[in-house]
Amino acid sequence: MTPDELLQRLSQTLRKEIGPAIESEYPKTQAFMASVVTQKLGRQVGLERAHERADAAELDALIGDLGGLLEQSPGEDRVAAAIEDLGNSRDKVRLCAVIVALYAARDELGEVKFSALLNRVRLSLRANINRQMEYAA
Amino acid sequence: MTSSPVAAISSEDIRGYLATKLADAEHIELHDVAQIAVGWSHETWLFECHYRESGEPRKLGLCLRRDPGNALLRHLSDLGEQFRVLKCLERTDLPTPKAYWFESDPAILGAPFLVMEKVAGACPSPWGRDGRAYYAGASERGILPGEFTRALATLHTIDWQAAGLEFLGRPEPGTGFAEREIAKWRELIATTEHPPEPILTDLICWLEANIPPCDRVTLVHGAYRTGNLLIDDDRISAVLDWELQVLGDPMYDVAYVLSDLNREGTELLSNLVARDAFFEDYEAATGFVIDEHRCRYYNALYAMRSVAFWMSASDLYATGRSNDIRLARTAWSVPVVLDRAARDLGY
Repeated sequence: MTPDELLQRLSQTLRKEIGPAIESEYPKTQAFMASVVTQKLGRQVGLERAHERADAAELDALIGDLGGLLEQSPGEDRVAAAIEDLGNSRDKVRLCAVIVALYAARDELGEVKFSALLNRVRLSLRANINRQMEYAA
Repeated sequence: MTSSPVAAISSEDIRGYLATKLADAEHIELHDVAQIAVGWSHETWLFECHYRESGEPRKLGLCLRRDPGNALLRHLSDLGEQFRVLKCLERTDLPTPKAYWFESDPAILGAPFLVMEKVAGACPSPWGRDGRAYYAGASERGILPGEFTRALATLHTIDWQAAGLEFLGRPEPGTGFAEREIAKWRELIATTEHPPEPILTDLICWLEANIPPCDRVTLVHGAYRTGNLLIDDDRISAVLDWELQVLGDPMYDVAYVLSDLNREGTELLSNLVARDAFFEDYEAATGFVIDEHRCRYYNALYAMRSVAFWMSASDLYATGRSNDIRLARTAWSVPVVLDRAARDLGY
């Protein structure tokens, strides 16, 4: 049995056997809520590796596209530096920094360039949140 | 009952306290004592206090709220401020519970607490099947929807300076109100150990770049919806949940009413009020024009607030400050709100 299958099994036991056997209101609610948590966690764990691969591929494409968009109109150092940092660290903190840099450089970039860059970032954010919704919804 | 980190209190503890406050009372007895497990904030007890004064029997319905020390929004909502707000509102036309006593000394009942009037009525949750049926029925009967709108209009037209509510902090003119709210929720997010969320960063940047000016300052409830209103025979007997109130833009409350976050399986606002009727009645009662553009902005601000709530809530469980598993579950509410926020931003 894989970890996600075990968590799903625990969730079923909590919902079908433990929860209904509890009379007191507060612990009964807790048992049912534990069932929900283990179910979501099970789904998240089960999807984790596939999501990690998809996130990595998405990030590669994002970094490449952002670099390409900036190359067409160089001149905004802060954004370029933030994208370079993202390429090096490949983490959410640096992705947040890219977004902050974009908004901070909005005037220098101009509305067309700003929108093109932000929309490209948002394309990746949408793909990522869609994956998260597979277990969170 | 709940996972409070402070010592449990008994009816006798409460009775002993009341004996110190009701100086002329004799033979104090508590009846129908019930600790209610609603909400994630303060612990709440409801009871009837029976006593004799000058030989005459007396009865006082009371509600005691105690700060468990680990509640959601703990550092943004203290009982001392709630007590002060309720005392100020007693002088207004808004139906609220009468506030009797506030004690900050934890030596008395283990933690700060307030005692207020137990107001007649019920507070059906709008989220369950029974609650939805209740509000659907009330909507058809036709009295409560108007009550809902009128109470909000009353709240927004209170002379807050005359009522003594200036201590809540008047925002700076122009964009000060939204800036203050963004800063507040940013601060709450920063207190958590939740990993960074790029959509949240985008949302906050967008909010900061698009702040609408606030042209009118009123008392703002901060969570005005069914579920936070006590209802007695289709009348609002008390506006409850004074934990998020501020002085600011009344459209902040209106946006909350208009939000589809506060209705389930119905087009009725807050599961109760037809949109057109709300607009008509609210504008007639207040003289304000509902600014839907500003409401959409505040709807996005509510998304940031919701994310801050859920990050804070799940953090309470994750860091061992609470054992309430309902809080653990809210970790998965964060992506749900972010998904919605992204859609509101157009992606």
